[in-house]
Amino acid sequence: MDSEHVHLGGHQAGLERDPVIADAKQPDLEDPHVVLSLLESDQLVAAKRRTHFGPRRLSFGVRFLLWSLRVYVVVMMLLALLSVLRAAHLIR
Amino acid sequence: MEITDNELTTPLSEKAQPTTESAAVSPAASELERLLTHEDVDRARDRWEVVRARRKGAAGSFGGVRLLWLLVGPGVLVFLGENDAPSMLSYAATGARFGIGFFLPFVILTFVMGFVVQEMTVRLGAVTHRGHAELIFDRFGRFWGLFAMGDLVLGNFLTLVTEFIGVRAGLGFFGIRPSIAVGVTLVIVLGAITTGRYWTWERITMGLAIFNALFVPAALLARPDWHLVGHAMLTWTPLPSGSHYEILVLILADIGATVTPWMLFFQQSAVVDKGLQPRDINAGRVDTALGTLLASTFAIATILATVPLFHHGINASDFQGAQFAEALEPWIGHLGASLFALGIFEAGIVAAIAISTSSAYAFGEVMHTGHSLNRPVRDAWPFYLTLIGSACAAAALVLIPNFPLEFVVLTVNVIAVLAMPPALAFLMLLVNDREVMGDYVNGFWGNLAGVTVTILLIIAGIGFGLATVFPKWLGG
Repeated sequence: MDSEHVHLGGHQAGLERDPVIADAKQPDLEDPHVVLSLLESDQLVAAKRRTHFGPRRLSFGVRFLLWSLRVYVVVMMLLALLSVLRAAHLIR
Repeated sequence: MEITDNELTTPLSEKAQPTTESAAVSPAASELERLLTHEDVDRARDRWEVVRARRKGAAGSFGGVRLLWLLVGPGVLVFLGENDAPSMLSYAATGARFGIGFFLPFVILTFVMGFVVQEMTVRLGAVTHRGHAELIFDRFGRFWGLFAMGDLVLGNFLTLVTEFIGVRAGLGFFGIRPSIAVGVTLVIVLGAITTGRYWTWERITMGLAIFNALFVPAALLARPDWHLVGHAMLTWTPLPSGSHYEILVLILADIGATVTPWMLFFQQSAVVDKGLQPRDINAGRVDTALGTLLASTFAIATILATVPLFHHGINASDFQGAQFAEALEPWIGHLGASLFALGIFEAGIVAAIAISTSSAYAFGEVMHTGHSLNRPVRDAWPFYLTLIGSACAAAALVLIPNFPLEFVVLTVNVIAVLAMPPALAFLMLLVNDREVMGDYVNGFWGNLAGVTVTILLIIAGIGFGLATVFPKWLGG
C-alpha cells in the first residue's frame, strides 16, 4: 500500500502542508499551533487520554481461538517445566 | 505554554477512529492547544526534523539519506535487542553442535518470520498511535488483556535475568567480578533513560547495539569454509544428526531467539513514542528490514565463530558465555575469544535496555499512566520505576549465590516460542481490525504469511511437547 497517498478520512490536508509550517525554516515550538500542525489529531497525549477504540465484539470463532491458544500455552508451559526439571536432574 | 496534563478532566468516553487529520485542523484544536504536554512538544520537534528532511529529499539532495537516518530506530533496535545473550548462546550452541549446514538457512528463515510479524507492529503503531498492550486491553477487554500481560511479564522477566547472566558471563572472561559487571549494566540502563528524550535514548541504544557486530570478526578469525557455507545456504544440508530431541530443542531455541512476544510490544510502543505516522510506514518497513539484515548477519557470524568446536569434537552442551569464549581461544586466538565475550556482554546490555523498556511501556499503557521516554522522570515516575525496578530485580537474582542460572537459560527461549502463538493471534486480529486500522488492514499476503508463521510455531511447540512427554520416540 502506498501510504503517501492514502487518507483514512477526515481532513485531507497533509500535516506538512499546513500554512504555519509549510515555509518555516525553524518552527517556534513555543507556539501551540505549530506543535499541533506537526502532529496528527490522535497523536496528542490529551487526545489519546480522551478517546479509546473501545471493545470489539468477540465472535464465537475468535473466543474459541483465544481459549484454544490459552489452553495450549498452559499445557506447553507445564511441559516446559517438566523438561527443565529433567534437564536439571541430568545436569546434577 | 501549558505542558502538564494534570488538568485533563474530560471523560474517557469518545470512540477513537483511525485518522491522518492534522491536530491543527481538528475540531478540538483549541482545547488540545491548552492541554499540550512536554511529550507532545518533544514529539513535534522530532516530526519537524522529518518534515525538513522530507523537503530536502524532495529537492534531490541528501535529504533522503537524512530522512532514513531520522526514521530508523525501532526496527533496528528490536532485532539487535533480540540478538540477546541467550539468543547468541543458542546460536553458539548450534554452531558448536552441528557446524555448518541446515541451521544456517534455518536461522535466516526465522528472521524472515520475524520481519513478517514485526512489520505489522509498525503499521499498528503508526496508524493507531497506541501501544500493543493498550490496544489489546481496549479491543479485547481486561480479561484477555491480563492473559497477554501475564505471558509478557513472565517472558520479559526471565529473559531479563538471562541478559544479566550474559553480562556476568561476558565480563567474567576478563576476570571482572559479577557484582561489578551487573552494576555497570544497571548504570548504563539508567544513563540511557535519564535523558528524558526518546530520540537520545534511541541513538544511545543504537550506538551500543552496533557492537553486536563484534561477532563478525570473531567469525572471520574462525576461518569458515565459505564453500561449505554457500552450499549449506543453497541446499539446507548437511542435515543435523544425533538426538532428535536435542535438534528439536535447538530448533525451538533458534526460533525463540528471533520471534518473541516482547518484540511485538516493544516495537509498536517505540514506533508510537518516536511519533511515526502512516506516511512513515514504508520507512518503518525499511527500518525493520535493516534490523533483520543486521541481526541475521550477526547471528550467522556467531554460528560460524563456534564451528571450530564442532570440528574438534568439543562438547559444548552445558557451556555459558565465558565458557564458549574460553573454549574457542585455542582456535580463534585471544583476540577472537575476547571479541566473542565482549559480544555476549554487549548483547546482554542492549537487550536489558530494550526488554525493561518494553515492560515499562506495557505497564504504562495498561495503567493509563505516562509511558514515554519523552517524559521527564517526575511526570512519568511509575513508567521509569517499572523500567529500573524490573532491571534491578533481574540483576539482583543473578547475584544470589547458588541461584540456578542454568534453569533460566534453558527455558527462556523455549518459553518465548510457546507463548508466541496467542501473541500472534492478538496481533493478527488487531491488524485485520478495520475499526482500528482503516485502510491499513492486512492484505491477503500479509495474512497468509502471518498465519503460516503462527502455524509453524504451534507445530514446533507441539513437537516439543510430544518429545517431552515421549522422549524415547525422539531419542531424548
